[in-house]
Amino acid sequence: MLNSIKPKGRTVFLYLVIPVAAFIFTVFIPLITSLVYSFFDWKGGPNKSFIGLDNYAQLFKDSTFWLAFSHNIYLVIACIIGQIGIAFVLVLMINSRLVKLKTMHRTFGFFPSTIAAVCIGLIWNMIYHNKYGLINSFLEAIGRKDLCQVWLNNTKLVMLLVTIPLIWQYIGYYMVILLSAISSISTEVLESAEIDGATGFQKAIYITLPLIKNTVLVCVTLCIAGNMKAFDNIYVMTAGGPGNASMVMAMYGYQVSFGQSNMGYGSCISVAIFVLSLIVIGGSQFLINYITREKEA
Amino acid sequence: MDANYGQTHKVRRGIAGFFMNFVLLAFSISCIFPLVWMLYSSFKEKRAFNADVMGLPTKPTLINYTRILSNSDYHLGQSMWNSVRTTAISIILIVAFSFIVGYILSRVKFKLNRVLYIMFLMGMLIPIHSLLVPIYIVFQRCGISNQWFTLLLPYVSFGLPMGIFLVEGYVKTIPISLEEAAAIDGSSFSYTLWHIIFPICQPILVTVAIIQVFSCWNEFSFALVLIKDVALQTVPLALTQFKGQFASDYPKQMAAMLLTMAPIVVLYFAFSKQIIKGMVAGAVKG
Repeated sequence: MLNSIKPKGRTVFLYLVIPVAAFIFTVFIPLITSLVYSFFDWKGGPNKSFIGLDNYAQLFKDSTFWLAFSHNIYLVIACIIGQIGIAFVLVLMINSRLVKLKTMHRTFGFFPSTIAAVCIGLIWNMIYHNKYGLINSFLEAIGRKDLCQVWLNNTKLVMLLVTIPLIWQYIGYYMVILLSAISSISTEVLESAEIDGATGFQKAIYITLPLIKNTVLVCVTLCIAGNMKAFDNIYVMTAGGPGNASMVMAMYGYQVSFGQSNMGYGSCISVAIFVLSLIVIGGSQFLINYITREKEA
Repeated sequence: MDANYGQTHKVRRGIAGFFMNFVLLAFSISCIFPLVWMLYSSFKEKRAFNADVMGLPTKPTLINYTRILSNSDYHLGQSMWNSVRTTAISIILIVAFSFIVGYILSRVKFKLNRVLYIMFLMGMLIPIHSLLVPIYIVFQRCGISNQWFTLLLPYVSFGLPMGIFLVEGYVKTIPISLEEAAAIDGSSFSYTLWHIIFPICQPILVTVAIIQVFSCWNEFSFALVLIKDVALQTVPLALTQFKGQFASDYPKQMAAMLLTMAPIVVLYFAFSKQIIKGMVAGAVKG
């Protein structure tokens, strides 16, 4: 029976050849290319020389790269707590019978995540601006001109300041995902808990959270993957500065490759971004599986 | 006693209700406020804005818009067209290829099926920002960077994996007897694919298209690396240039941003329900 709907090999080949070829060309060929060039000293010109593992030796000692890596980790942790944490709290509130305008909160909350990261970065530049920024004009209005500063030039604060827009942009996104998971929990479970005298907090931690565990894990994974590749906001807001105070891996790779046109070392950094991102994403998956298994046992 | 308890209970509920409504309203307003602020500020003149950054325009003017659109140095119209073209072609290709590959991987048994499946699965896991530098090198080598079609390749390739898996999962829910019946009636593979399966898959293909519209329109880093020609730049690239040119002219910058955001904003508020549903489905299943 199945044979009657089995197409000819040639038909399948013709259908698949273009997408598969395009995919290999744009994803796998560059991967291999970066691996090859990471063994070369190549400043973008016609001359390349094979230098073995020298780029990697340099990378291990490159404090800027590891600083950038630590900033990526900072972003991941801040965004897991900020985005998913706040989203969860908001979801609990929005589900309450006392709250009005639920659809509006969903529509407005989700809106920033549909806007380009470049736009978000530019908008927040305006908010942080020293002369015409909203924060400084607010401080002036309440008579605390002494607190005004060039916000994005503050080395100590800059990581926090570039993280806030990122967190803000995606709270609504995770809120909506969690909301759709919670709506599948039967109201009977929550009502019977209420009759048993569970407080709102207890209901949230002991009933809602375990029941939407899988969705929370999906959110955490999305959050990690999203922040390991942070680039657009940083490029627009600080370009990694002041100094390297807000440098992230993708930004550093871009700067080395195109700013200093050091393509060999840039390729090496690309390979490192690839490996480190996979390790962080894979490691977190492993950790999550390990922890949740422990609890079920 | 009982009545008293009911009274305090009511008050507590009232306070809790007020608090929750307040927090959520504050959140919603914060999400929409930048858009509103930019909208009314873009009708102010630079001097009026600098004097009072928060106030409503006293003398609304369209000067920012006319200046941006009339000055061909800014290439805003050209950039918009580039973005529309790139996004539209990418979406069509992503939807078509996702449908074809997703269907074949889900239904047709052939030697390389598992290999291709794993390859596209890896495509989802690969941190694409590690490709930023090497993709530039490869495209430069092949002489295909800085062309009108350059961005189609990465956008389609990066959009494919999620589309394929959404389609693949969806096709599994279609009973195979449908295709068997079609085959008995003499329908060829291609006819079944396009005339029977394609209409059934429409909901999932709309989801794929929705997700990709936003990611293609908003994509920045690969455009930054692969496009050098101002006449070929997409909207996000153009905006970063305005940042330099209009450094101290915020109303103008806001007008430019609003123009480039307009298609997305209109699309979002017109179809927000479907868009939210589609994006969530894509995020959770993909």
